[in-house]
Amino acid sequence: MNAQARPWIAAYGAEIPPEIPPLRHASLAALVDNACTTYAGSTAFTCVVPNGMNGSLGFSALGQMSDRFASFLRHHCKLAPGTRVAVQLPNGLAYPVAAFGVFKAGCVLVNTNPLYTPREMIHQFNDAGVEALVICDIFADKLRTVVPQTRIRHVVLAGVPEFFPRIPEAIVRAVQKVWTRSLPPVPDLPVPVLRIREALRRGAALPKLDDWNRLRPGDLALLQYTGGTTGVAKAAMLTHGNILSNLEQVKAVGGRHMTREDCVLTALPLYHIFAFTANLMTFFALGARNVLVPSPRPVQNIQRALENTPVTWITGVNTLFNGLMNEEWFATYPPKTLKAAIAGGTALHQGVAIRWQEVTGTRISEGYGLTETAPLVSFNPLDRATRPGSIGVPVPSTDVALVDEDAEPVPLGEPGELIVRGPQVMRGYWNRPDETEQTLRNGWVFTGDVAVMDDDGYLRIVDRKKDMVLVSGFNVYPNEIEECLSHLPSVLEAAVIGIPDTATGEAVRAYVVQNPDVSDLVTKEAVIAHCREHLAAYKVPKSVVLRDALPKSPIGKILRKDLKAEARAEFAQEG
Amino acid sequence: MLTELETNLLGVMMMVIMLGMGASMTPRDFRLSFRKPKGILVGLLSQFVVMPLLGFLLAVGLGLPPALVVGLILIACMPGGTTSNIFAYFSKGVLALSIMMTTVSTIVAVAMVPLLLAFYGGLAGVPAEFAIPPGNVAQILGVLLVPTLLGMGLRKLNPNIGATIELIGSFMGVVVIIFLIASWVPRNYVLLLETAPHVYFATIGIGLMGMLFGYWVARALAQDTNRARTISLETGIQNGPLAVLVITLSFSAAQQQAVLLIPILYSLFIVISSTLITLWYRRSATHEQLARDAAKLGAG
Repeated sequence: MNAQARPWIAAYGAEIPPEIPPLRHASLAALVDNACTTYAGSTAFTCVVPNGMNGSLGFSALGQMSDRFASFLRHHCKLAPGTRVAVQLPNGLAYPVAAFGVFKAGCVLVNTNPLYTPREMIHQFNDAGVEALVICDIFADKLRTVVPQTRIRHVVLAGVPEFFPRIPEAIVRAVQKVWTRSLPPVPDLPVPVLRIREALRRGAALPKLDDWNRLRPGDLALLQYTGGTTGVAKAAMLTHGNILSNLEQVKAVGGRHMTREDCVLTALPLYHIFAFTANLMTFFALGARNVLVPSPRPVQNIQRALENTPVTWITGVNTLFNGLMNEEWFATYPPKTLKAAIAGGTALHQGVAIRWQEVTGTRISEGYGLTETAPLVSFNPLDRATRPGSIGVPVPSTDVALVDEDAEPVPLGEPGELIVRGPQVMRGYWNRPDETEQTLRNGWVFTGDVAVMDDDGYLRIVDRKKDMVLVSGFNVYPNEIEECLSHLPSVLEAAVIGIPDTATGEAVRAYVVQNPDVSDLVTKEAVIAHCREHLAAYKVPKSVVLRDALPKSPIGKILRKDLKAEARAEFAQEG
Repeated sequence: MLTELETNLLGVMMMVIMLGMGASMTPRDFRLSFRKPKGILVGLLSQFVVMPLLGFLLAVGLGLPPALVVGLILIACMPGGTTSNIFAYFSKGVLALSIMMTTVSTIVAVAMVPLLLAFYGGLAGVPAEFAIPPGNVAQILGVLLVPTLLGMGLRKLNPNIGATIELIGSFMGVVVIIFLIASWVPRNYVLLLETAPHVYFATIGIGLMGMLFGYWVARALAQDTNRARTISLETGIQNGPLAVLVITLSFSAAQQQAVLLIPILYSLFIVISSTLITLWYRRSATHEQLARDAAKLGAG
């Protein structure tokens, strides 16, 4: 396949360079080391727990701590460079210490969801060949099952209030232990278990490492698991160069609006690639501050963080923005310091985007990316007017094409599968040549997303290829109907799937959640009437199910696959 | 009676509780709650109209002696206790409403309690030697607002300190009741044994009736069941230790003995009755939730 012309370059204007400059650092370790020296006097991370207690780490402290953690991994645990180290922590001060330590040790970071069950942990750790694990102490009870069934040789424990000032740390821990009973005893394990403070103490006594200088952009940095929404989890191999390139791309499109005075709200989990690159790495490299919220659910948990820190940026997914605006304290007093919000992870509904602008007076810029591309592929430039429903234009140094089933380009304006090529594209899936071959062809990533490109290169995602519903031979894209439902005030959120139908092959079913702040009741009739008004007849849901909540992924994506599974079970029974 | 040391200690504990109450909120929370003031207004109605009336009717109806009449009316007029927030939490109630009701009623109390005491005291014909000087009450309540403001300020200044005193404050709410019982009951067990059943009835009844009427007043004014349960607990749970403090600061040692009886017994029994009511409310809340879920299924 040939490189396509890049019709979107015109939209870059004078502000955005068409290509990113050569990488300034050879590895993430070098970037981290450089930032820790350059911004030595500034605060890098502040973690705020729901009751308002908080702790912070400065750049220089973080530099020293991550050095010590690296020494601990290499000299004490005797891990060789390239060894996989899993970090399974909620957002907190221990996360950057551990993750940056792993980079400086020349090891490979395996980001792991703290809420994984032992079964999922065992699968992931064995798949990645993890030899050391940094895990949150509130999940230590899982270790009893997990450790003996894996190759893990070292376990490090870190708490949610880790590195807080002594008294708040002791209080939060006491509350966890006595009140919420969320601090289980550490089981007896066949491998050594240390708390992270002790690991750092030991690391401090060992020689400081500098062989991260030998890391090159092509070296593996991250095994980032994905496919939670599709099937069996598999790891995208992201190199130092992938992430560094993506950071340059983010900087090229948004850098003029970001300064080291900025403060970004990091409520999305750092183990997910979106927050990892957009929050952790982007703002850290800039010398700015990340405000870490360990869990954004319930949304109330974010209140004190927003109250106590001058947040200028928020990254989020549709459900988070929607959730925030449904909180009275947020809608009435949105943060005054806010400059803009970045949306990604899943389609941003226009109803939400418009309301956000009304409520906060700032805009949400929607981007698009995937784990396989570290993650950013396209972005709405902040200097231009927002184009509703668009994921913007591809970032610099990136080629994008829309192709049909035979991988041939479709005419402009026609829907086709989005494929991407650029320096941010992964090396492949870890130990899965078949999956790699399917997804990565001649340097292009096949995203599985169907998109349309406007004349000037702006992209719109139509839907996931496999979520499409076929009604009497017509393609119905669930996103379009969900989007339509988001404009109905009585609907808090909605999900649309296809169900078997004897007459039309498949029919549309909508799952809707009542908005508690609106007195109008959401009814089947109201939903159908609203859709009749705005959609072609074949797109109108035939079935409407009212729910209290919708199944969601850890980052807040609505999981259509769970609803589909439910529906399958339901119709299997009937059939 | 309480010794002077104990009275001072009680005063300090109340200050800590109010400091914690202040640290549990921001000026913004106030402004927010006054944008939709209905819940709080309903709460004020049941706390400062229904409850004092209940206290008066019970006192007169049971023919209590003057010292006990004063104690009962005083308890009935008190603002909401800070422990009510813990009970609201466990009953799956509306925590924000509970916190705001406690705070607003404490502020309103500065003016309302002296007025209500004078009014019902006069109506019940309480002799002058048992009358609580209104200025005294206003002064004590006013002084207690200082730590509340201080708590709010501290939270703004340093969230870690704010959250710490908030926790200490709610912990102290339980400590102070244990302190009262431990320091008063052993010295007065003879009095407890001699106390007539109808006095116990009044003491336990005022809390339970407050909760009952609080619930129905709220329901009558179109509050949903969940908010009504929160208002109910808030109405029934009064600031008993505050009543004890008012009495010890207003009466000589000899008079204290008799007047203190009802507030102290109340503080003891309200913990027990609120626990039982909370368990019941919690079950109702869970049932309602399940019923809602069931109604929603099959709507396809």
